[in-house]
Amino acid sequence: MQIPQVAPRADDPAPLPLPGWARPASADGAEEAAFRAGAALLALIQAAGAAGAGQGVPHPLWRDRLALAAAARGVAMSGRAEGEAALRDAVHLLRPGDHPGPAGAVFRLWSRAVARPLGPDALAPLLDPLPAALGADALRPGPGTPVARAARALAAALAHAPGAETQALILADATLSRAAGQDRLLPCLSLALTPRDLRLDEAALRASCHRALIAAAAQALPMAADLARRAARLRAVAPRLRAKAAARAVELFLSRDALPPAALTFMSDRAARRLCDRLVDLGALRELTGRDAFRLYGL
Amino acid sequence: MAAPLDRELEDLPPALRWREWMRRVEAVLFASAAPVAREDLARVVGQGVAVDLLVADLAAELEDRSYEVARVGAGFLLRTRPAYAPAIRAAAETGAPATGLSGQDIAVLAAIAYHQPISRDGLKDIFGKEIGRDLIGRLSERGLIATGPREPRRGAPYTFVTTDAFLAAFGLETLRDLPDPEALEDAGLTPPDGGSAA
Repeated sequence: MQIPQVAPRADDPAPLPLPGWARPASADGAEEAAFRAGAALLALIQAAGAAGAGQGVPHPLWRDRLALAAAARGVAMSGRAEGEAALRDAVHLLRPGDHPGPAGAVFRLWSRAVARPLGPDALAPLLDPLPAALGADALRPGPGTPVARAARALAAALAHAPGAETQALILADATLSRAAGQDRLLPCLSLALTPRDLRLDEAALRASCHRALIAAAAQALPMAADLARRAARLRAVAPRLRAKAAARAVELFLSRDALPPAALTFMSDRAARRLCDRLVDLGALRELTGRDAFRLYGL
Repeated sequence: MAAPLDRELEDLPPALRWREWMRRVEAVLFASAAPVAREDLARVVGQGVAVDLLVADLAAELEDRSYEVARVGAGFLLRTRPAYAPAIRAAAETGAPATGLSGQDIAVLAAIAYHQPISRDGLKDIFGKEIGRDLIGRLSERGLIATGPREPRRGAPYTFVTTDAFLAAFGLETLRDLPDPEALEDAGLTPPDGGSAA
């Protein structure tokens, strides 16, 4: 299928890529990595902000898609073969009472982690089997840099439950996000930490977290810029849609990684399908599966 | 109808109240063959009482017994300690695993565990023959499998996935504890083509 290219424009409120001095170099030692990680974190939370560079980014959608990437990485870490497409299917083809399966469960956990503001009630149920105290610590102000705090939380979680990597990584990114002044979780460290990293002691893990944060920015910032452009395009064509509920549909697509037409519950099934296909024709939406049936749409 | 359970036990002194809650948790776990979710345990003790602390105290109390509290998936279970497996086997003289499943049932269950989510058609591809509804029924009746996401094709067939009860029955904490198929192959326990068709 031909995917229309969305060209960047000069006045796009999209986040800027990292400047050259903030990018990793092969000769980097621990100190250089820590320095660049600070720049990466600042760029990430600016992109996640509602003003300035982050203004045009559809934040809920960005977080949901980063959650998908983090979940896919976590699933691969546990030795399973499901990729992002399979994770989407596992969650969207579920009917009430069905179980999402091991890979779908990881994505569902991540999706929930990014969907609600960070608070004890939202975080605690996601972290089981980790002790509740770790979740409470993540939300409390404390000493140390955000990365150092995240690394400490991660090491503590893994020491308590070595098999619960997904929960440990959610805890680490929750700690990092909150320590960086965010009220929602942004998947960062979980985009780049490796299974090897997770077996390191706390000091070595902190160094790995610095490197992971730099790699996460290199992945998440271009994604944010791309989504900002696609969102601008979707908002631009929205007024041309005649369907009455089109504005609600547009808002939904700006908040979720992918949706089946049936998720537009405020329209008839047929009208929802027609709207999705029309948005694809207008170059404002993509069909993500390449299938003729059980299609999923997203930016 | 029975009177509603007195959860708060306000007429007991705190220490006795805690003991009674521990005993209730023990009784519920003892009576259940499947793992019991934390929420279900929370229903028999005082509002807002930390079930994890009760379970931890219970586990400590059972330290010198032949059985233990095990955490399985999102719940808890009482089970005999592995060291007593030979004694139990000698007494019960059971040749087959206690699940009451045939070799073929176990083979299909293993295929589901490794390949989940998988539909009956997927199982057919692995075993080279149709897997009967009654076999699937036996596995799901025992709570070892559940239905997973539908397959994205005509008829949206069910897939099957394993449950927490499956983990409990085989003493696994997570699916990651399943034997690594490549390691089994290296050890010569399975043919390299994975053809375990019974």
